[in-house]
Amino acid sequence: MGVMDQILEKAVEEEEAVSYDVLVVGGGIAGESASLDLADMGFKVLLVEKEPSVGGKMYLLSKVFPTLDCASCISTPRMAAVSHHPNIILHTYSEVLEIRKLSESDFQARILVKPRFVEDDCTGCGQCEKVCPVVVPKEYDFGLRGRKAAYIPFDTAVPKKALIDLDHCIFCGQCERTCPVGAVNFLQVPKVVKVRVRAVLIATGYELFSIERKTEYGYGKFKNVITAMQMDRLLAPTRPFNAVLRPSDGKEPSSIAFVLCSGSRDRTLNNPICSQVCCMYSVKQAQLLMGALPLADVTIYYMDIRAFGKGFEEFYQQAKAMGAMFVKGRVAKIEETENDDLVLWYEDIENGGRISKAVHDLVVLSVGLKPNSEIVEVFKGEVLERDELGWIRSRDENVNPVETSIKGVFAAGCVLGPKDIPDTVLEAGAAAAQVAAYLNEVGV
Amino acid sequence: MSERRSTVVQLRNRSGLKPSKENVELMRRSKEVQTAITKALKDGPKTVPEIAKATGLSKDEIFWHLMTMHKYGVVEPDEKDEAGYFRYRLVEG
Repeated sequence: MGVMDQILEKAVEEEEAVSYDVLVVGGGIAGESASLDLADMGFKVLLVEKEPSVGGKMYLLSKVFPTLDCASCISTPRMAAVSHHPNIILHTYSEVLEIRKLSESDFQARILVKPRFVEDDCTGCGQCEKVCPVVVPKEYDFGLRGRKAAYIPFDTAVPKKALIDLDHCIFCGQCERTCPVGAVNFLQVPKVVKVRVRAVLIATGYELFSIERKTEYGYGKFKNVITAMQMDRLLAPTRPFNAVLRPSDGKEPSSIAFVLCSGSRDRTLNNPICSQVCCMYSVKQAQLLMGALPLADVTIYYMDIRAFGKGFEEFYQQAKAMGAMFVKGRVAKIEETENDDLVLWYEDIENGGRISKAVHDLVVLSVGLKPNSEIVEVFKGEVLERDELGWIRSRDENVNPVETSIKGVFAAGCVLGPKDIPDTVLEAGAAAAQVAAYLNEVGV
Repeated sequence: MSERRSTVVQLRNRSGLKPSKENVELMRRSKEVQTAITKALKDGPKTVPEIAKATGLSKDEIFWHLMTMHKYGVVEPDEKDEAGYFRYRLVEG
């Protein structure tokens, strides 16, 4: 058991006198959008996010497809808005432990609020980070560089407050001695807040498919095989490197390959479905790479290009016109050469289906999505149903897509199934409307 | 203020918490690598392969720490060489 787990075991139970209209679980773009819509309608919202900052995965992206708008420029105002809206109470670094339906439109929820070991006086100056001597992989950069055990999640985190990662802390006290406002407090204790809510909205999103399972691709073993989420970080304004460079030695890549359907449409990995976003985010990254590295070759290995949305086909054609090469063929395996380059073995479908190989100096695995739906386990008394692949099951996909198997519990975004950002925001709006209709129907 | 400053000591005393061997090793290794990088850069900007040659450390470990040092303002990129490697230099002051 880690140090933090030992401390969390001693959480103090508190009953909150305040009740809320809606508990929104998940502070990514779906949870933020739905919370803001509901709060603007006058409902009291309790928004719970398990990470130390709201923002979810959208904040981490470079740009969005097909418009190439800056992802963080769109998401940061929403992150700030949920923290300032008078009708929204935000708990970050908190987890929902239990939701129990007592009667219609009456749910009791227990929420674990974890200690950050830094008081709200923190100004986010970052002095504690500078003096902390422990370096560990930074989660928000998917391990591409390090962070300290005392850290601020990222530059525009909401709230922009430091926290101490006690599982990696050596208890040297440097952070505490350095903090100019005396905000570090190792004596903070966790608390479990018990609240009553009238409705629940699940917006816990997705996780990336664990592509280590596809051992033929060498992720985790070959330094220059990265995921598309890592590539998005490399292309983002808040990027972990000073440029797009390969992790094995910091060299600027000259030949970059994308392997589509990595972990999607793959029965050997028990994930037969299309993740819906990989084709277009790869086309987006290809275009951005051709801008960032004009001399580099970009090759996309694909089974089918699914450009089904508004403007997607034009976006795909634009990538081709810019010089991205599209090779139809499933990549079978990847090998590493002595100088950290990578050999891709693939079925060359457009040339008679022969086995071919090509050498690249950076490989991006366009990794699919899997549901982040463990939240079903916190429901007591009634079952929040999932489908056979783990996505939350809609009550009726045709007429009630955001209603779940429990009346009064709604869902929105990727926890219902893979989808892109515009569809997620649209679904969040629909869920907010359905929650409002439910609350109006059941009355006070 | 003096009481606040001692919270880490109080936590250690109350809970009997000690730094784990793994975390001490993490700290020791990052200090060792970052000190070696700093020493190698004292006589001028270098690429990752040049730092590897000077220190005997692996290129991927050097680059990972170099980018962490970049985040905390210890090093900054300089010019790029013909092979596509940036040189890095120590930030003055």
